[in-house]
Amino acid sequence: MLKMISNNKFFVVALVATIVTAGMSFGNLPTPSPPQGVQVINGVTFNFSDYPFVPHESLALFNYLDTIVSSKYQGYGEWEGWYAENYHGLHHYVLAFMDYTVSAMFEATSGYRTDYYREFAYDLIKRMNTTEEEWGENSIEYKEWTHPEYNYVDYYYPNNASDPNAVYVGGWRGPANIMWTGHYALMQALYERNFNTGEFIDELSWFIKDWNLSLLTDRHGNSKEGGLWGVGLIPCEPYIVFVQCNSIPILTTALYDNMMGTNYMPMWDYGLNFINTVMQDQYGLFMDGYYVDRPTSIYYNTERLPDTIPGPAQSLYAKDGRCKVSSYCNGWALAFLEYIQENETIHDYPIFLQHFKKDISPDMAYIIDTYNNPTGFGTFDILGTLFTMHLANQRGDYALRNRLVNFLYSSYNKIWSSDGRRMYYDTLSIEPFMQPVLAFGHIWATNPVTIKDLGDARPAEFWNYPYISSADDDNIWVYQAQWDPNKSAFILNIRVDRTATLTFSNFDATPTAYFGGTVLTQLTQAADGYTLTLSPGQYNLVIM
Amino acid sequence: MTEETTKSEASAEKMTVLERCRMNDRSALMKTMLYALVGAALYTILQMIPHPFIVLGLLKFGLLPSLTIIALVGAIRGPTAGFLTGYLGEVTYGLLIHNTIVTMTLDAAAFGVIGLIVGLASYDLKNGRSLVKLSILSVTGLIFSTLLIVVIAMKVEVYGTLAILGFEMLPLLTLGIPTLMFLTPVLARIWAKIAISLSPAGEKAH
Repeated sequence: MLKMISNNKFFVVALVATIVTAGMSFGNLPTPSPPQGVQVINGVTFNFSDYPFVPHESLALFNYLDTIVSSKYQGYGEWEGWYAENYHGLHHYVLAFMDYTVSAMFEATSGYRTDYYREFAYDLIKRMNTTEEEWGENSIEYKEWTHPEYNYVDYYYPNNASDPNAVYVGGWRGPANIMWTGHYALMQALYERNFNTGEFIDELSWFIKDWNLSLLTDRHGNSKEGGLWGVGLIPCEPYIVFVQCNSIPILTTALYDNMMGTNYMPMWDYGLNFINTVMQDQYGLFMDGYYVDRPTSIYYNTERLPDTIPGPAQSLYAKDGRCKVSSYCNGWALAFLEYIQENETIHDYPIFLQHFKKDISPDMAYIIDTYNNPTGFGTFDILGTLFTMHLANQRGDYALRNRLVNFLYSSYNKIWSSDGRRMYYDTLSIEPFMQPVLAFGHIWATNPVTIKDLGDARPAEFWNYPYISSADDDNIWVYQAQWDPNKSAFILNIRVDRTATLTFSNFDATPTAYFGGTVLTQLTQAADGYTLTLSPGQYNLVIM
Repeated sequence: MTEETTKSEASAEKMTVLERCRMNDRSALMKTMLYALVGAALYTILQMIPHPFIVLGLLKFGLLPSLTIIALVGAIRGPTAGFLTGYLGEVTYGLLIHNTIVTMTLDAAAFGVIGLIVGLASYDLKNGRSLVKLSILSVTGLIFSTLLIVVIAMKVEVYGTLAILGFEMLPLLTLGIPTLMFLTPVLARIWAKIAISLSPAGEKAH
């Protein structure tokens, strides 16, 4: 043996080094997908691959997010685990897009509506609405609005307080802070869409009516084409209108109309026309910002100001009068507006990629911040890539989606909790604040339901469908859960780590759970529905 | 196949260019192409399988087994087969799995350079010194390949230097060097064993 080793020294060294290297690095391999089988029950075929599916890693990432969001762990104004101490002005975006992500994830398993998911969405809304009075400098009001660096607090339109026609439009919840009010309202709208509690309807309605006032009148009681600011859009920062920021209240209004049976959407007609005709760059993509008045905040770069105001924000790189463009603006706006103007997104998507996509390798690509500065690389390139991952997923461009995901996630280790329930991407060595962002970003990119799918309200009969109303959530992984109204059966793809009981509501009679095409068990009647107790294992269940 | 790996280093020095490229007659050319195609197919298959890696600080370590196929084919069948394995394998992988061709296949050609450089030398694959030579030339090929990819990214594709360094050059080196240095000689040795056992006369293989 020793002689053999002695005769093959280099081979042995290379073999050991290979084994050691491979052994050290297997933790980042993808988790295998749970099975999606086919069952035939009473002559009806149930193919699990026909139903939306949430991957195992998405659920593990969600479990991690729960530990930094849920009020079970910390107060609404506390930020332990967010690594956000050194930032302001970004927290509310993280909360909002996390909410859109999980709302889409909840929709993928629309029959699993226990408090675990509902409370997460509720806590996000409450976190988004923390006031300075209660939480001081930890509040979103401070971080997004009253932070002294912004100088956002009091302002008028036109930007001259002594003008007798000037309208006061200041305030955190005021008419011109669409970069917060829009997100907050959409979070509320999605909560009501997904959980139908009615709790946020009044506040949501107030925002819708306030936008209606701004977009159709001069806020002095007179109707005005293009609304107060004359562009049919609502500004933020506080004298710039952005397509991306306005895409949020536009989608909110569409969803609100769908849920409430109202007709507020026409208030956006002028603004939609404005973004599709005026706020366009040389390629017909959205420009990133249009000044409706001269700004006041110290953040405004005078190099961005157009010669005449109103006018488009200027590119810092081209310096030849070209407008500012960015991938995050287009990636975001094209995705969120697809529900409203699908053809525009379909038309612009390939043009957007043509000018913003950079190929690293066959399995990796990224999106540059702006084609006016193709050799730069920084935060906004990452942001543009994040937004385009979702857009590509929504457009069904999975090849590009995967390449963008590979680019963004290939530099981080997956960290699993010791019980295997939670996972996150460790960004501490590069940028700690990215950790929660990349956690929901992965779900955002890979979920089978996208933001476009959330524009429709659920049909009234949906609320009568059987669903899982409570469960031992800590013991299970719910990959698929929905009522199939056409086959009158509940589809459940679940992994059980420890014995777990699920309670189903809305079944009219005692249902039977089928597994592998044969009867597994009948559910047990309880006070609040029918219960199913499952031993540890992997199940594709049809319950009918 | 063992026949193809039995040239001695001394006789290799006297080879013509076509002989070194294993394209000196129709039969040799056909075999070279066959090796390249099989190598490209293996490369594509290995690329499809997620590779293990670990990130330490800003550096990414692990194994990229597909790279060893390029080096192995180069070592076994010469520079043409080695180059084509990398080139065709990378193009096929991009087209089949990611529906894309990157930078007019120039990147793929850069991967082929690994096989080209490795294939320029001759090896006795069951000899330790020869395996060391294979390791060194594989890594040399990777360095040339990486430099070419960086130049292509900067001059043809034109994107951020930070993106090139952080997402392309460094990972390729930190994954590729351990792979080519350690895994290539291991697989080469295994190949030599297989070749000997398949040889009817138990012929010496190298």
